[in-house]
This record gives sequence, C-alpha cells and structure tokens, in this order.
Amino acid sequence: MVAAAQHPQIKLLTYCELDEVNGYIGNFTVSIRQKSRYVDHDKCTGCGTCWEKCPSKITSEYDQGLGTRKAIYVNFPQAVPNKPVIDAANCRMLNSGKCGICQKVCPTQAVDFEQEDSIFPESVGAIVVATGFDLLAWDKVYGEYGYGKYPDVITGLQFERMSNASGPTGGKIVRPSDGKEPKNVVFIKCVGSRDESKGKEYCSRTCCMYTAKHAHQVLEKISDSQAFVFYMDVRTPGKAYEEFYQRSVQEGAQYIRGRVSKIYLKGNRLIVKAADTLLGRPVEVEADMVVLATAMIPSEGHAELAQTVGITVDKDGFFQEAHPKLRPVETNTAGVFLAGNCQGPKDIPDTVAQSGSAASKVLALMSQDELSMDPMISNIDEEFCSGCLSCQAVCPYRAIQPETVTYRQGGQTMERTVAAVNSGLCQGCGACTVVCRSGAANLKGFSNEQLLAEVNAICR
Amino acid sequence: MKRIGVFICWCGSNIGGVVDVPGVAAEIAGISGVLCSTDYKYMCSEPGQDKIIKAIKDDHLDRIVVASCSPRLHETTFRKVLERAGLNPYMLEMANIREHCSWVHASDKEAATQKAIALIKRAVAKVSQLEPLFASHIPVTKRTLVVGGGIAGMQAALDIADAGQEVLLLEREPTIGGKMAMLDKTFPTLDCSA
Repeated sequence: MVAAAQHPQIKLLTYCELDEVNGYIGNFTVSIRQKSRYVDHDKCTGCGTCWEKCPSKITSEYDQGLGTRKAIYVNFPQAVPNKPVIDAANCRMLNSGKCGICQKVCPTQAVDFEQEDSIFPESVGAIVVATGFDLLAWDKVYGEYGYGKYPDVITGLQFERMSNASGPTGGKIVRPSDGKEPKNVVFIKCVGSRDESKGKEYCSRTCCMYTAKHAHQVLEKISDSQAFVFYMDVRTPGKAYEEFYQRSVQEGAQYIRGRVSKIYLKGNRLIVKAADTLLGRPVEVEADMVVLATAMIPSEGHAELAQTVGITVDKDGFFQEAHPKLRPVETNTAGVFLAGNCQGPKDIPDTVAQSGSAASKVLALMSQDELSMDPMISNIDEEFCSGCLSCQAVCPYRAIQPETVTYRQGGQTMERTVAAVNSGLCQGCGACTVVCRSGAANLKGFSNEQLLAEVNAICR
Repeated sequence: MKRIGVFICWCGSNIGGVVDVPGVAAEIAGISGVLCSTDYKYMCSEPGQDKIIKAIKDDHLDRIVVASCSPRLHETTFRKVLERAGLNPYMLEMANIREHCSWVHASDKEAATQKAIALIKRAVAKVSQLEPLFASHIPVTKRTLVVGGGIAGMQAALDIADAGQEVLLLEREPTIGGKMAMLDKTFPTLDCSA
C-alpha cells in the first residue's frame, strides 16, 4: 500500500468515483469525481485529534459491524492516505449545524464543512478495471442459519477483522454477543457458493483455504479449543495449499463432510445440526461461535461501472474477459483490461499474477507511439446518406456524428448534413448498417454485396 | 480472374475425426476460381502456415479461405500468414468447420461433411468479393487509469509504474488496500496482508 502511495509515477485518487468514460483505446477521456472529504488533505497532518474528540459513534463498515468509528474517521491505523474524511450522513455539524468540534480542535484548520464534490477530466490511453468483490448477503437467504439474528454466527471476513491486530478486538477472537473467548468454533463452507437454490452456482475458490487458515488460528490462539469444519469438498489446487490444509488437520481441525441443516440457540450456545455423509449419520455440535464461508459476488455498483466503461458482464455479474483461456485479462473493449476478483473469484496469488498480466498488456500498448486500428469498421457513403441520423441513435459506441458537407447544384454551393464515422470509436458491430434505409452504411469486409454473395452460395 | 486458395484443417481429430476432410478438399477443388484446395493436420502450425505461404507464391493466389476452427481463435494468425506472403491480410475468409460443424454434429459424419462443404462454399463466395483493407493509425496517450485500489489494482499500478509509465490509481473508499487490507494473515505463507 505504501509502495503504491509513494511511487513517483502513481497518482492516488482516493474517495473518487469514475463518472464518465469517453473515447477509445489510446485516447480515453475520463471524468473523475472527487467526493467531498470535508477535510483539506493539503493542510491535514493526520494527527488524529479530530477523531479522538468527535462525539458521534457509528458502526464501522470496515470492521464489518464488529466495532465503531467516529463521523470523522480513518478506517484503520495504517490507512493510505492516513488522513480522515467526514461521513456526511452521520456528522452532527453537517446535519444539524450543531457541533463542529473537529474544526475547533484541528491545529491546522483543515476541516472545511463547505467543501463540495469536484469533477475533473483526465486523459488516459488504457484502463485497468480492478474493482474486486463483495460477499453474498447470507442473512437474507439462509434462514436455517438464523437470518443473521444470532450475533455469534459471523462471516469469514468478520473473523478476519477480529483476528487482525488492528481490528476491533485487537486481534483477539471473541464472541460478538458477550466478548468471551469461544472454545468450540464451527466453520461452514460453501455458504452461497455451489448452491444454486439459495446462492450461486460457482465455487468461490478461496474459502477452502481461508477456512483451513481460520481453523489453524482458532487452535493456535485459543487453548483447549476445538475447530469443526463442515464441508462439501476440500479444494486445495495451489502450490503448498494441500500441505497447508493437512497441517490444519494435524493440528486438530475436525473436518466433517456434510451440509449443516440448522443452527439454533440453546442457552448461550449454538447447536449446529448436520449430517455426516461419510459415516451416514446425523451429527450435532455445541458451538460457541459459527463462521460462515460466504460466496464472493461482484462488488456493489459493478453493473453501473460496466456501463460507464463499456464492458460486458457474465451471467453472475463478473466482468467478461475477451477469451476464457487466451485473452483472460482483456475485455471486448480495446484498451480496457481486467485484474482480480472483478473478473471472477480468485485468491491473492492468482490476483497478483493476473494484475501482472494486465500490466504487461498495458505496457505493450504504451510501448507503441501509434496504434493501427482494425479497418473492418463502418463506412458511410456520403452520396447515398440522407442525413436522417438513424444510425447515430443506434450506435452503442457513440461513433457516429453529424457532419456538414458542401456540394454544387445548379451553379450554387449547397450544404447538407450527413453521418460521419469516427474510426477510433467504431467497433464494427454493424448496428448502423441495419437501420440505414438508403444503404449508405456498410461494414468494410461485410458489405451488403458480400453478405448476399454468401447467402446465395449457401442457398444454391 | 480471382485466384483463390482453400486450406482445410483437420485440427487433429477435432475436425478430421468427424468430417471427411480429403473428400471436402476434392469437392471444393471443383469450384470455379479455386486454384488450390488442400488439407493438413494442423493448419495453424508452422508447417501448416508454410504450406499456405508456398501455395500463395507458387500459384500466385490473391485470396485465401481457411476452413478450420472459429475465427475468434485463429483469424489473426492466418491474417499474419497472408501478410508474410505479401498479400493484404484482409483477403482472408474463414469457414468455421469445428465449432459450427464437427463438434456439434459428431454423431452424423455424412451430414457434417456436407455441412462443411456448404460452409466452405459460402466462404469461397465471400472471399471472391473481398477488397483489400488498410488499417488507420491513431496516437497513444501514455498514461493509465486503474479503477480500484485493492490488491489487484495496486499490483497492476505498481507493475505499470515500475516500467516508467504514469498511473492514476482511483479508489472510491477513503483508503487504498481494499478487502486485502482487512485480512489478517494470508494463506499459505501466513504473512500479514497490509
């Protein structure tokens, strides 16, 4: 993180949204919106006085609801940049005009309640989309696990926050309900993954490994603890992965093959009912805490981003690569590349590898001073064009613009409007040729004559 | 007079196991304008490509049909072959006799063979109508936008920046790091994530 922030060739644009993308490979113009932080980061030193004094306590999204933060906050002590923003929805000053303590205590007068969003354009030649993932909202669909009403049924990411030394518990694994150390911890894999009826058809690919890690952490950090893992399959296809899983088993993690059918509360413990499908008999475990390995899904806002950037999504909402094997980091839009979980669930080693691959594609593009463009694009014959601009309306790439041409008629110079194709934007989809009533629009390499010759040959 | 060459690929047994490839080649050889109709085990391989180049030179071919897999896989490959032989790369037409034929009609070899012939006849008709096309050239802005500042975005940004190129790293949250920074230790090495 720090390496990225300090690199002289990288400009960080945090708390920003991508509003608009225009142009084409090598020549994109993007519109970026800097969301208002209400803190002038040029003045702020990140001293932390403001968030110590802020009176508003809000549940921390970053800590997955396990901790609190202030209305002026940094998400975690090592954040980059290590300077706060004000959460406008929860700030007393911004909502009622009463408070302003952070502004009063700030030694550099960096707090600015008048700050507004600013929008600025940037020119770029390539775009790498790396928008990551979110987790399936299991509490909306898994009634058998309590629809989220038991505080001690948590997700793997909540477990990570707890286990993290900078997290809400300072690295201690505790029950969210009473803060006590759990002795029996049950892990359930494939919650939403490989479950067509309630979740997703696909495998999220990381859960087998992080669950093995979580089981190891429970056994390591909590003395006299037991870890039970309910699984459908154990998938460890990575270098040193199987060994890692076996280590957890040797440390005492008890793997039970079967789905959990019900979790319910008995006193202050959770009863986990399942079937052991290897032994063919029902099992029941009394647990202090249950950790669910929930499915990875595309990150919030992925559909809007796909539209903004002009890329396609697959049936699950992940961004579609140009070819599953041969062009895994390219999209069907030239100049736009993919890295990480936005393309499909993957773990950190695969993500890093894919990022390197996307970077190498970008660098191949950047190594050229000029690009040669595919000539199989639309061509509009001015002579035949009536200037109706039906083609402009259907063009998905905004590649058609009206153009005024002059011509001579009866000794006079006349003007008329025709459609003109931008060769940089046109992707050769042919939508314009279908709506063109005068036959002026033709796709080079797919002209009406050429297509009819094919039809004749095949029907003869 | 058009001088057409037709090259039919077996794709090992992918096509050759279903379609009677030599039979198809013989049938296509009879079409007017086709000066050369031949088959080979793997047309995309180096010997396969050399076969096309040699035929272009020997028979003075001016347009080429390759009947093989989907153009999505090898159109660029064969365009480069034409270029190396001195032809305009867009004087190529492909007939997809794998995905559109042998793979989907594996149980009916005779019908698959007839369909392959029809698909290649279509391609021959199209290739007769082709005209040379020429690429246009556009400049490149040497600057990259990376959308998302998690591990994927940071790594891509660093790799591009290390090569000396300018990068804009955009993140919607107040901090970079994404989900990765939320994690504790990471498998399989158990080192920290931040």
